[in-house]
Amino acid sequence: MKFGIFHEISVPRPWDRESERTVYERALEQVRLADELGFDQVWAVEHHFLEEYSHCSSPEIFLTACAAQTKNIRIGHGIVVCVPQMNHPVRIAERAATLDIISGGRLEVGTGRSATWTELGGFCANPDDTKKSWDEIVRCLPKMWTQERFSYEGSAFRMPPRTILPKPYQKPHPPMWVAITSPGTELDGADRGLGWLGLTFGGLEEQEKRMAEYRRRIKVCEPVGDIVNEQVNTVNFLYCHEDDATGVATGQRLQGAFGYAAAQLVSAREAYPTPAYPALGLLPQLRPDGESPGDSVRVPEGLTIGSPDRIIDALKKWEAVGADRVNFLLNALEVVPQEEVLASMRLFAKEVMPKFRERSKAEAATAVAGGE
Amino acid sequence: MPPLFGTLDVAPRLHAAPRLDGYDTEAWEIADVDLLSLTLEIDDRTSALPPALHPAIPPVAYFSVASYPDSPIGAFKLAQVRIGCRASALPRGFVLRAYSDSPAACDALGRRWGYDCQPADVRLRRYHDRIVGTVTLDGSEVLRASLADPQPISGASVFHVSTMNLARAEDDGGRGVLVQVDPAYAFHRAERGVPELTTFDRAAWTAEGIDPVWPVIATFVRCDTGFPRIRYVMDAQQAARTGTRKLR
Repeated sequence: MKFGIFHEISVPRPWDRESERTVYERALEQVRLADELGFDQVWAVEHHFLEEYSHCSSPEIFLTACAAQTKNIRIGHGIVVCVPQMNHPVRIAERAATLDIISGGRLEVGTGRSATWTELGGFCANPDDTKKSWDEIVRCLPKMWTQERFSYEGSAFRMPPRTILPKPYQKPHPPMWVAITSPGTELDGADRGLGWLGLTFGGLEEQEKRMAEYRRRIKVCEPVGDIVNEQVNTVNFLYCHEDDATGVATGQRLQGAFGYAAAQLVSAREAYPTPAYPALGLLPQLRPDGESPGDSVRVPEGLTIGSPDRIIDALKKWEAVGADRVNFLLNALEVVPQEEVLASMRLFAKEVMPKFRERSKAEAATAVAGGE
Repeated sequence: MPPLFGTLDVAPRLHAAPRLDGYDTEAWEIADVDLLSLTLEIDDRTSALPPALHPAIPPVAYFSVASYPDSPIGAFKLAQVRIGCRASALPRGFVLRAYSDSPAACDALGRRWGYDCQPADVRLRRYHDRIVGTVTLDGSEVLRASLADPQPISGASVFHVSTMNLARAEDDGGRGVLVQVDPAYAFHRAERGVPELTTFDRAAWTAEGIDPVWPVIATFVRCDTGFPRIRYVMDAQQAARTGTRKLR
């Protein structure tokens, strides 16, 4: 099992000149530490207009800084919103290829389509069309990266033959992922040979069923790219502390802040009735039965908060249901002081990570002994 | 640091707000209700909302006209203007003002569920290319809301937020209560189309400063719905997260 971190760049009010700069600098400090501690990947989302929840509208720039300040950690550009009103597909290909070169071939590309009216409406994108445009764009990106000349006639965009430059450093191209929130998207990803980039917190039992079906489907996929990325990458909150009660309490504060900020946004389905968005985005998993404003934000099962032992136990469960990687959200609305975030990362790397490295080595040794 | 909160001065509104008979209201379940609803983005974030509520991001308003073909007080029509908001983490619509063509409905909806509802000529008409809801007050049209070019969709795609009414109650300590009205919907048909708001008299809706700036969508549904028993009330001047009281 591999571990990563991901950043929403959540900036609480009141805002002043230093607010966003402070959050970005803290995020970069976390990335440098993650690289030193042996975390495998750092991801940054793309969001627009999502006040307080995410001020990460140009993740490729943040990730370029991450690449420049680190040596080994892989750079997760995702999700990139595959909606032409937000990103012309050529610009996605160009930016990704450049980031892959700058990072020395450490790029991972996550694709998606946005789940909020706040964003889609802001760019005058029709929610009915985003699944179709995502499908077109994920099929085009590998061709843009691998073909010398590329042209296209589609419904999302069209262009005459051009040489799209630069080309990625990784050959044939960087691994591709799809963001999974709406039920069924994991099957869309499997059919196209894309990795599972989960954005759902908790829900082990349901995730297990969906992961099993994803594994079954991807074995018979027709990949959109030159490689199949058969990996399941999930997200979780991380707050690790020697004292379990302190760890759980702080972790719940982090989870509550994230859920509260997410809930203030207008989801695509809430604003615009369309079968293209069967789920309410992040709301259902975090709302308390959808009824009482007085209830606390629900704490999903399988959260990686608390003592190292508790977190090891939770991660073993995720591993058992089929997760290959876990990305951790370290903060939201800056409710956890930076020094505590860094201490949590260090403790996780010292006490938790080795348990999974040992398991991987042991499993590899068993496989060799068994002649696999 | 919490998100934005409403900044409405509740006290002046309370003088005219309905007084609840109590919280033990029986449910009205009504079949075959026609409901036209328009969603538009507005250019005001906090001034129309009480301090208990957060504005949605982006801020939106809902304009609705419904026809209830039967109820314990007979048939009536009901028009509402609501501001999209969040009670803690939950989507809601805060009622600025409602109108009904039935004085009996105005009285009952006010005393039982806290609707600030006044008598007016409320109509909901279907034409071949549009569905139009109008409210006429003392001979002047104060609302004309239309769904143009209706297209059939699944009722499963339609999301109606629950309502919050500002009311007075025996035990509210003079601070006012927000009454959550959260009916279920069973859809028989649903359509969506282009929202057109051609008349909106802000003064008639206690909506001064509310400017619809961007159309989102219009829906029309036929459904079984109604007015349920009150389950939650909250202090109008305290964050809903801490000021909510569960009744049942």
